Amino acid sequence: MSEEIKLVVQQRTEFGKGAARRARRAGKIPAVLYGHGTEPKHLSLPAIEFARVIREHGRNAVLTLDIEGDKPQLALTKSIQVHPLKNYIEHVDLQVLQRGERVEVNVPVVLTGDPAPGGLVLQELDVLSIEVDALNIPEELTVDLEDAPVGTTITAADVTLPKGAQLVTDAESVVVVVNEAPTAEAMEGETAAEQPAEEAGEAKEEASE
Amino acid sequence: MLIPRKVAHRKQHHPRRKGMAKGGTKVHFGEYGIQALEHAYVTNRQIEAARIAMTRHIKRGGKIWINIFPDRPLTKKPAETRMGSGKGSPEWWVANVKPGRVMFEMTYPNEAVAREALRRAIHKLPMKCRIVSREGSEF
Repeated sequence: MSEEIKLVVQQRTEFGKGAARRARRAGKIPAVLYGHGTEPKHLSLPAIEFARVIREHGRNAVLTLDIEGDKPQLALTKSIQVHPLKNYIEHVDLQVLQRGERVEVNVPVVLTGDPAPGGLVLQELDVLSIEVDALNIPEELTVDLEDAPVGTTITAADVTLPKGAQLVTDAESVVVVVNEAPTAEAMEGETAAEQPAEEAGEAKEEASE
Repeated sequence: MLIPRKVAHRKQHHPRRKGMAKGGTKVHFGEYGIQALEHAYVTNRQIEAARIAMTRHIKRGGKIWINIFPDRPLTKKPAETRMGSGKGSPEWWVANVKPGRVMFEMTYPNEAVAREALRRAIHKLPMKCRIVSREGSEF
């Protein structure tokens, strides 16, 4: 279950890419806090602490923001922008939370156990969208595949949800399938046959001539 | 070999390559992937060579995904031809790959074998690459 995690944050006074880069160099992450009709607040989060929270508690961790010069605020991470190569957090969107509120969150699906020999596990969905009480968000949903025979299909409806949670993802969506592992011949023959590309306009031009 | 079935224009301009990949920067389908670290035009022959290198190494029991498609024609004028008289004829089909893009993904029960297969595939590609995994993609 998600815990409340305290984070001391500052309000940002300067904006734009120059200020954002200066903040990142100083070990901060530019962030914005919004929701429930409140005025958006521009914040800077401590980079190392925030990354540790996400690593240890997942992206759905409920944060208690201790904003300098303001009252503490409950928040949920809405989106995280990550640098594609260097893998550091560039910007964070935070959503204002109220106690007792139900929120829609994407919870990661984790597979446990090994299927029966000869099976190849294909995970079709990494996350399931559920509606749950904001203070009881599960860190992950587990699917047990111990000795699952070839041909096993697990849909979103088959995944056990915590008490009080409601599935938002289509119940018939396939989460995991256990297929027969392809043979060497099947893998070799995957190549698409080569066909010359024809120009879409060419056929029309010829017809008009 | 991968090639488009139909194209709007047979010959394209050759603009400057710049910027980072906007999407497809994480491993989504398999367990491991090959991520580009530089810009490059990857030809359909290189994609096929990389795919064959992977499938020959893992033999059976895995699955490979190719996340890029060579939808861009590159032209070439014949050798010893004077300049002028129009643009050359299409010679290669390439995918415009930007840094950060996960080009190939793979799932295989044994991590060491999967990484070796991906390493062999990287040698067929024209840019610096690295192997990334689904688990290790979190900061």
